[in-house]
Amino acid sequence: MMDPNFLTIAEASDLIAQRKLSPVELTEACLKRLDNVDDQLNSFITVTGERALEEAGAAEAEIMRSGPRGAMHGIPFCLKDIYETAGVRTTGQSRLLADNVPDTDCDAQERLGRAGGVLMGKTTTWEFAHGGPSWDVVAPPARNPWNTDHHPAGSSSGSGAAVAAGICPATMGTDTGGSIRLPSAVCGIAGIKPTYGRVSRRGVLPNCFSHDYCGPMAWTTEDVAILLGIVAGHDPRDPSSAREPVPDYRAALSGEVAGLTIGVPYRWLEEEAPASAEVRAAFDASLDVFRSLGARIRSVELPPLEQFDDAKKTIAMSELFTIHEKDLRTRPHLFGASLRYRIICGGLIRAEDYIQAMRMRLVLAQEVQAAFGQVDLIMLPTAEPAGKLETTPHNWLFKHKGWTTAFNVSGNPALSVCNGFATNGMPLSLQIVGRLFDEATVLRAGDAYEKSTPWRDRRPVLSAKVDA
Amino acid sequence: MALEPIDREELVILAKNAGLNLPEEYFPDLVDAYGHVQEMLARLHRGRARGDEPAHVFVPKTFLPAGEQPA
Repeated sequence: MMDPNFLTIAEASDLIAQRKLSPVELTEACLKRLDNVDDQLNSFITVTGERALEEAGAAEAEIMRSGPRGAMHGIPFCLKDIYETAGVRTTGQSRLLADNVPDTDCDAQERLGRAGGVLMGKTTTWEFAHGGPSWDVVAPPARNPWNTDHHPAGSSSGSGAAVAAGICPATMGTDTGGSIRLPSAVCGIAGIKPTYGRVSRRGVLPNCFSHDYCGPMAWTTEDVAILLGIVAGHDPRDPSSAREPVPDYRAALSGEVAGLTIGVPYRWLEEEAPASAEVRAAFDASLDVFRSLGARIRSVELPPLEQFDDAKKTIAMSELFTIHEKDLRTRPHLFGASLRYRIICGGLIRAEDYIQAMRMRLVLAQEVQAAFGQVDLIMLPTAEPAGKLETTPHNWLFKHKGWTTAFNVSGNPALSVCNGFATNGMPLSLQIVGRLFDEATVLRAGDAYEKSTPWRDRRPVLSAKVDA
Repeated sequence: MALEPIDREELVILAKNAGLNLPEEYFPDLVDAYGHVQEMLARLHRGRARGDEPAHVFVPKTFLPAGEQPA
């Protein structure tokens, strides 16, 4: 049998169902891997080892008695440390919440728990999922397992690192401007920002209410489909939660992409935020894969990236200030410098500016939906490969133009998958964007791509304290 | 179009209006960040028609207690 640490959820659940792998063995392997390599990665901020072994034992007994409840029964998972967990510290990576132990679980923990998942712990993030990387917060930032001198992006940093390193096969991140897709991209895994309202935000510390999305991250798109099938669905206690039927995402992975029309926003990639030669070559090669599978490629025109950024940042700074106003007024020294810089001006933005930005959001979202009248999917790179982990100038927030935020503004589902490796060994990435609530087509395309390319066969190599 | 940088005294007033009584050490960050915010706000499209809606709509049934929401 393959090393349990590098089994996908799909593979591990098959072995568990056949009683060839026990949830306890799998959980022990994950905890051992964590113990062996996480001092190099800082991917976990809290480990719930004892609880995980208890949950794994209970899962094992139930599976032996009556079979598995589903694909996540007995599978370890971890949550970004802004997902509230009853009785388990939830810090948001902030000194303000260093000792915060919630009384109740977030919706995602409830659903994953009901599915029989095994909570391994909480993963490192940026402070309140917004400011970072920082060294003046409650724990040091995570590192990238493909090269620990490099960053794993943010803000679901620890989640991306933990999955790629084989510490844990499943995790939940959040994405307000790219924070699921960017760590997935630079850590070489798969991660989806679903449609706004598809996955409940209840019990997740807010970054910016109007642009926050919860979504799964895992080694393969198939695993992401398994997880999304569990966490998606209406939650009456989240006012933004959508009443949309949830299809069987895993069953939708037919491998069939022939006949799909894929739009590419070439102006973004060539004029507004030009891709590096390596990223562009990998992207063009990915399009060739889809052509060979029978898809059509065409150019698509979308509004300027800057307009998406301006609308989102105006809204986000205002909402962030509102969320943190009491602490900013009374104990600003407890924020990390990065987050404080990013949000302190939010109090100086007028209500009129906020509402004008919300009007702009509506127009931008309409234009993106109109583009989907011509194409089935939009594809573009997710990010440049990760650079060195170092202090980022605070004003990078205002100067950087990325390829992810537009779809937080528009609300569309967007998946990141690995589409190769740079010459320095760091992962490259492809972003696949779909129509509202059509995660099934997005996942189908991502899965077909992964199964047509060799990138899922390579894992990062880390030196272990003891041979795992 | 280059914007005129805000006068420090004006910024102190804006910060005070926002309820911020910041220590001196945070002011350089506030000045720097606000410069970027000014540029961003200046780019926001204005002059929309009176009836142009923002991207938020209040759906009162969403806020009914969980047990009273329509299935």
